[in-house]
Amino acid sequence: MPTLLEIQRAVRRSLLAQNGEADAYVVPDGLAPDARLSVYRNTIHGTLTTALRLSYPAVYRLVGREFFEAAVRIFIEKEPPHGAYLDEYGAGFAEFLALFLPAASLTYLPAVAKLEWAVSRALHALDVAALDFSRLLAIDPADQGRIVFVPHPSVALVRADCPVDEIWRAVLAGDDAAIAAIDLGSGPVWLLVQRLDTGVDVIRLSAGEWRFAAQLCAGRQLQAALDEAADIDRSAALAGHLAAARFTGFRLEEAP
Amino acid sequence: MSHQPAAACSPIPARAGIGLRFQHHQAVIEDKPQVAWLEVHTENYMGCGAPLRDLDVIRREYPISLHGVGLSLGSVERLDLGHLACVRRVAERVEPALVSEHLSWSRILVENPSTYLRFRHSTIAEWEFLAAVAARTGCGILCDVNNIYVSAANHGWHASDYLTALPSSAVGEIHLAGHSIRELDGGRVLRIDDHGSRVIPEVWQLYSEALSLFGPVPTLIEWDTDVPPLDTLLDEAARAEALLRGAPESVARADAA
Repeated sequence: MPTLLEIQRAVRRSLLAQNGEADAYVVPDGLAPDARLSVYRNTIHGTLTTALRLSYPAVYRLVGREFFEAAVRIFIEKEPPHGAYLDEYGAGFAEFLALFLPAASLTYLPAVAKLEWAVSRALHALDVAALDFSRLLAIDPADQGRIVFVPHPSVALVRADCPVDEIWRAVLAGDDAAIAAIDLGSGPVWLLVQRLDTGVDVIRLSAGEWRFAAQLCAGRQLQAALDEAADIDRSAALAGHLAAARFTGFRLEEAP
Repeated sequence: MSHQPAAACSPIPARAGIGLRFQHHQAVIEDKPQVAWLEVHTENYMGCGAPLRDLDVIRREYPISLHGVGLSLGSVERLDLGHLACVRRVAERVEPALVSEHLSWSRILVENPSTYLRFRHSTIAEWEFLAAVAARTGCGILCDVNNIYVSAANHGWHASDYLTALPSSAVGEIHLAGHSIRELDGGRVLRIDDHGSRVIPEVWQLYSEALSLFGPVPTLIEWDTDVPPLDTLLDEAARAEALLRGAPESVARADAA
């Protein structure tokens, strides 16, 4: 007699991989056991496909329903969800697409997926109040270089080799003229993603501004980040981040 | 049983509610439709942002029931504590003022599923299992009447036997939904619980039976596939409401004291 744990694990594996492992545990009652298990398998595929379609709407439109569903089927088998909170499912989809041979001709597809994941994360990020300026002003100027900012959970920095923001916007707007006008060879873009009260914003930065923002978001001390950003208007960049509420707090670290 | 029945401490009235889905947020905020309460899927509000802000507004006007679908209480493997923490965070944020958080969490309702297979090694009937879980843990039962109908049809059970086997004092909520019929190889038919259509007459009939057994219990119209205009949901809720009004009050909680 199998344990309940053995049965549950066998069912889970056979739902993901259709390996027939759970057939022996199921009463046929006029139907092949796997035909019964398929009802559950279809629900899983349907639910996860919907979850990914909601997180990757531009990818879905770019490849079409049939291609998307086929790709997702393989992705689910490789990376099944670890939890039931499905807004968090699909982090690895961009990397999966980069290695997915049938999509190889769509060179920009992984970049679109990467941007969409950042947008989706921003949409669902926790609400955290912005940094209170008065706390910042209370810091002795001599100590300010040791400030390490805490980025807002919705903020993400995305770099791509093609104008992925233009592709993403045009595809979601269904703007065929804009899609036709995109120059895939126009060079790399440096993007900042953030949730505002009005929705998720994707803005372009210069390469220098992007690196400065990335340093601050990665927990680099302010002075060190400033020292490496000599090529940009640093005070404007810093003021811009503060005014746009991209940080929620800070701490003082020991000088390096 | 020494504990209080769910309905006695529930902020949800013994009336008809509807499942609130994202596509109806704006309509509910703007039109404030006549419906006694709303139920949302906990998992849909685990992130923050616009949906949760909508719910902050909506919950000022309607009692909200949180219906989780991902805790996997039946799993032998360890409870997903991360998921439980997310459920707790949503509960803390969404709980309307008239509910005590403590009460609502001391007594979680467990729902009967729709099933499409039976296991060879099962030793007791599903309804016996549910009744035993309620008796041993003190949890309540969310009686999904459509699920009972679907499972009974798929396995040749008698839906009425299932209903009468449930301890009426433990039933804190009823779910109603539509289901579809799938023909499989060999002409065999399976009913599939897809929440994608109106409640069928046979399920309304079974619902009347449930009310005569359990008394008036908060009742939810669920619709998740091809979600229709809000008016269709309100229409279904009105049908449930009419049956609720005719339910025998005296039966309710006869054994609750």
